[in-house]
Amino acid sequence: MPIQEGTYGLLAEFDTPSELVRAAQSAYDSGYRRMDCYTPYPVEEAAAAIGFHRDNVSLLCLLGGLLGLVAMFSLETWISVWAYPLNIAGRPYYSWPAFVVPAYEWTILFAGLSAAFGMLALNGLPQVYHPLFNSVNFRNGATSDKFFLCLESTDPKFDVAESRVFLEGFKPVSVVEVEY
Amino acid sequence: MEQHSGYHEKTLPADLSAPAFVNGWRSRALIIGAVFSIIGVILGFLANDGWAHFLRAWLLGFMISFGFCCGGMALLMTQYLSGGKWGLLVRRPLEAMTRTLPLVFLYFLPVGIFGVSLKKLYLWAQYPDTENALKNHLINATQAHSIHFKKPLLNPVTFWEVSIFIFASWALYTFLLNRWSLQRDADSQPNVFYWQKRFENLSGFGVVFYSITLTAAAIYWVMSLDPTWYSTVYGLQFLVGQAYGVLALVILTLIGLSSAQPIKTIFRVTEQHDLGKLCLAFTMLNIYLAFAAFLIIWSGNSPEEIPWYLDRIRGGWGVIATLDFVFHWLLPFTLLLSRDLKRIKRKLVVVCCIMIFARCWDMFWLIEPNFKDAARNLHFSIGILEYIFVPTGLIAFWMANYFSQLKTRPLVATNDPHVAEILEPEHAHA
Repeated sequence: MPIQEGTYGLLAEFDTPSELVRAAQSAYDSGYRRMDCYTPYPVEEAAAAIGFHRDNVSLLCLLGGLLGLVAMFSLETWISVWAYPLNIAGRPYYSWPAFVVPAYEWTILFAGLSAAFGMLALNGLPQVYHPLFNSVNFRNGATSDKFFLCLESTDPKFDVAESRVFLEGFKPVSVVEVEY
Repeated sequence: MEQHSGYHEKTLPADLSAPAFVNGWRSRALIIGAVFSIIGVILGFLANDGWAHFLRAWLLGFMISFGFCCGGMALLMTQYLSGGKWGLLVRRPLEAMTRTLPLVFLYFLPVGIFGVSLKKLYLWAQYPDTENALKNHLINATQAHSIHFKKPLLNPVTFWEVSIFIFASWALYTFLLNRWSLQRDADSQPNVFYWQKRFENLSGFGVVFYSITLTAAAIYWVMSLDPTWYSTVYGLQFLVGQAYGVLALVILTLIGLSSAQPIKTIFRVTEQHDLGKLCLAFTMLNIYLAFAAFLIIWSGNSPEEIPWYLDRIRGGWGVIATLDFVFHWLLPFTLLLSRDLKRIKRKLVVVCCIMIFARCWDMFWLIEPNFKDAARNLHFSIGILEYIFVPTGLIAFWMANYFSQLKTRPLVATNDPHVAEILEPEHAHA
């Protein structure tokens, strides 16, 4: 992989989530697409402002859950009916009420694991390097009390000078050019 | 920034009273109530079963109305204890539900008078002289033994004493919760912490007290229809079932009111989503308790306990039980899993209607198989149609009462710090 050089993007810093959402919404409305918001806690409206797209984590979670359910219920049925048929208190071999609890637990287990690992697989974590950490104010503020909007240079509409003017229109605390 | 006015704080409208169309709801409920009751009475004459099914269906309608009224009281106390913005939203509708208690007591009277005093409903009231009843083959040996053994609990005097006591104590709670709520709004803002503490102290004990008295009520009014059977989780199942029904009803109310002020201003998607999540939680808790009770009795496989389930599974009842599972859990659960569905009013309304219908369906499955003519023998009779008309009539009249009560107070409790929060734009969590 070639070493990337040059500008990664322009990083605008805000003090409140409302200002961030307003800027992000305007950026999206004026045609920017390659951008991201960075907040110390989840701000759903920020995600909505930059064109919230559905990820497939919930689908993976559902499929994982169903897989766990079917796997355990089939396993129990196979063991009780074909592999090791045992007479337990005179009950039928196929005693489904007894199968429900383990099947339910595997549903939860598989759903949880699929959600966790699916999330990691889809969001690219763990990541050892990210250009934004080159910016001092990002390092200090992104996980405590600052709200950031980054317009990325890969966006066709991106232009260092013009985009800077655009961002400064929202009265951010600062606009920093971030290198790769 | 006109186009972003949604980001700015909103203000509470000056007029907080219920919109005029609530009167329309009430008239509609009264018409439905009248039509269904008349058909119910006509069927009572046609059924030719000594009004037996009419009374059973009345019990069903009473239990559902009672669930809305007193379940509303339980949820009202719970939101005082838990806090949260959803609590502010549902407070006034829940208070309106609690104020229907006189009507619910009126619904109870026929159950007590005809069911117990005139011995039409409960086996233990019908045959207090177990020896003779056994000799004449009116009841079997198990029933005779149970009725005899449980006599200190299951006799008309104790039934009336317990019922009157619990109604009186709920009336006291209803009175205090409603009165203090108005006093709190009339009081000045700095005293709000005093009121919060006061409500917490009332509700903390109240929730425990209600759980215990509801267990007694569920045992006397429904479980004792079959004197041979007992389950310690029975009262808790009613408690969760009531919360399940009340949540569905309160969401329907809020969505209905949200087309006009003042609810339009304060009912945000965030809180709607929260209420939907609570529904999902109660859907899970409900099936958890119901299935746990079944699994324990199935595992024990004891002849003292399983007949209650066999009465409700064999002879066609399996279909009703399976559909109960579908309406009560499978449909609401799978639908409420979706994030979008909880945030779209039109779709959430459908789920809430399914949930309320499921409560009635479940109650039918609990009540009807207790009786000799219906146990392990689901069959059509004119009497069974009463289960459609009498409860619908009773619930419709209850709804009319609820809508009247909704009109008597402002729809938003104003002396609460959550009011300011609920008027904020949705993303400003900071």
